[in-house]
Order: sequence, then C-alpha cells, then structure tokens
Amino acid sequence: MSALVRVVEKKSVPEGLNMLQGIPDVGLVGVIATSHIIFNLKMEEVAYIDSDLLPPLTVLYEGLPHSPIRIFGNDRLLALVSEIAIPANALRPVMKAIVDWIERKKVDKVFSLGGIAAPNRQDIEKPKVYTVASNEETLKFLRERNMEVMERGFLVGPQALLLQYCAEKKIGAVALLAESFYNYPDPEAAAAVINALNQLIEVPVNVQELLEKGEEIRLKMRDIMRRTRTELAQMRKAREYDIPSYYVA
Amino acid sequence: MRRRRSIFDIMWEYMEELERRTDELMREVFEKPSWDLETRSLEPLFNISVTPDEVVVTADMPYVDPETVEIEKLDEDLIEVSAKMRVKVTFRDLGVRHREGEFSCFRCRVPLPVPVEVGKAKIRVRRGILEIRLPRRRGYRIEVE
Repeated sequence: MSALVRVVEKKSVPEGLNMLQGIPDVGLVGVIATSHIIFNLKMEEVAYIDSDLLPPLTVLYEGLPHSPIRIFGNDRLLALVSEIAIPANALRPVMKAIVDWIERKKVDKVFSLGGIAAPNRQDIEKPKVYTVASNEETLKFLRERNMEVMERGFLVGPQALLLQYCAEKKIGAVALLAESFYNYPDPEAAAAVINALNQLIEVPVNVQELLEKGEEIRLKMRDIMRRTRTELAQMRKAREYDIPSYYVA
Repeated sequence: MRRRRSIFDIMWEYMEELERRTDELMREVFEKPSWDLETRSLEPLFNISVTPDEVVVTADMPYVDPETVEIEKLDEDLIEVSAKMRVKVTFRDLGVRHREGEFSCFRCRVPLPVPVEVGKAKIRVRRGILEIRLPRRRGYRIEVE
C-alpha cells in the first residue's frame, strides 16, 4: 500500500465479494448511484480511507466524525463512496491504495459507476450507458451481456486510474458510464447506471425514488459539484472530448 | 521579422483568456457560500459557453418556476439572473441542522466573455435547467487573406 494513503478497516471484511465505486466525477453520477445503493441496502461502514493528501476535514453523522471516503459492505457486496472531490494531485496515490486493498481482499469484480459528459444532455430522454473493461475476460463478460462497449477514446480521472491499476494486477474491473451533464448533478443518469449495473450483477434497489427525489438531490449536491468542477478542470477532464489517433492500435 | 498572427493564434489566445477568466471566476465563487440569507437566495451552478453566434448560459435550477425568470443587465459584461422556486427550502431540508434560514429563489451574477445583445436573449427551461441564449454583438470581422 502507498505509505501516503491508508485503508483502515473498522470491521472484518469478507474476501471474494464484488465491489462498487462512486467517486465524484462528471454529473456526480457515481456518488449519487452508489449512495442510493448503500442507503437502500442498509450497508454498514466497514473501512475508510485516510491520507495526508486529502483536505483536513471530517464529515459529521449523528454527531460523530467520519472520513469523507468510506467503504460500506454487507455479506454480498462492498461499496466505496467519496463525499469529497478527490484533489487531482492525490488521485493516483489514493486509487493505487484502493486497488492494493482490492487485491488483498480478493475482490471478484469492481464496478465503477460514473458518467460521460454529453453536450446535448438536456435533450436526452434516456441516457445511454457505456462500459469499459480492465481485461479481455471482463470485456467478454460485458459483450456476453450485450453491454454497449466503448471501443476507443480517452478516459480521464478516477475511473481511468482504476481500470489501469486493475489491469496491471489482473483484477476484473468495469467502468459504467451513463450519458450525463458535465457540470450539474444528474440523478437520472445515476438511475440509468444502476439499471445497467443490474444487467451485470443483481443489486436489488428501486430507482424510482431516485428519479422522484431528483430535484432535491440536485439541490443538495450543488456544493460538492462546485468543488468537483475545479478538480475536473485540474485533471483536464475535457480531454475526454478529444478524438484519439487513428493509426495506433 | 515579426510573424503575422494567424486566425488560429488569435483563436488560441482567445480560448486561453476565456479559460483564465473562468478560473478566476471559479476561485471567486468558492470563497463565499453558495447561499445568501439576506436575499433568501441560493446561487445555482451555472455554465457559460461561447459559439460563433451566441453566448449560451445554462444554470441548474431545481424547483424553478419558469415564469419568474428575470435577466438584468448590470454592466456591458455582467448580467444578473434570478428566478423564484416553486417551494421554499430550509437548511434542514438541505441536511444542515445547525443553521436557520429559508430560501425561495435563485440568484447569480454571470460575467459575459464577449459583447452580447441582452435584449434579444432567448430563454428556455427544460428538466429544471435554465438556458439563456444571448446573440453576440457584431462589431468587427477578421478578413482571411
């Protein structure tokens, strides 16, 4: 594990489970979707991330302090969610430490939930969900389930690093990316990504509530979206719009 | 001999300037809270983009009443956008219990990166997102040799 980042376990964490991830990124899709799953499945906090590279803050719940980046779990599933935008310069060590921990816990597959900015999002009724795999075997798993695979292009940010580090360690990881707003919290995209996740593994949560509470969620997520925007600009997120070179396979 | 600036140089410099001004704006925005108890307003998230013909400002305004959107020109390069919400929201509704206060509208000041005709603005609200399209003022034309 990176010396700068620690994953601290509060409870014993079973090995061999699947894991979800929701880290602030475009439209906060992953955070909204993962938080909704954690809340509805009544998952408990089992571990948290501590690092000198993170801002000096704590999140208060029912009067007690908690790390802003936490891992929740039940007997079938783990889920990591971050309530702060991870600073661009901390992203590599944090993601490395998380993937090292994933390896130690022999996580079966990692499903990273997120969004991909769609410039015409306002006019999209049902956001499409694209997928990316960390290795051949996982790619086959996606194709067999008729998922829309992103064949070429750039990914920037936490999901890009997760895929890269999981590929190095031969861990099966999937990024699910729903078409979303770049700058605005997008609960509809979060619902789309949960529906797509259910084509891959069973996560029994109702997305109707997410859609009904959409306006409330958008209002509550304004400040985290503001902070995330700055970090996205720092990591040059707009590179995802670039057209990749044609000749290099 | 000094090289003549191409249209691409001009565009590049313009984009860099726009990026610099956006960064400054973002920093300024972060230094203060996104709410104002005096005016009972919340500052919405907003975005500015520039096309060859217009400046498009969008703002995320959940619970907005589309009939109440107002745009005021404060300066040549600054507008204020405001709109009422269909419901009143308290800090408690937002998950904050150690502050008292109620909010009933959105309000934000939007800097305009290029001259526009504010009087000819077109507004639409879709999915709680306000979109303002401001036609750019035409003052000059660069001839390409």
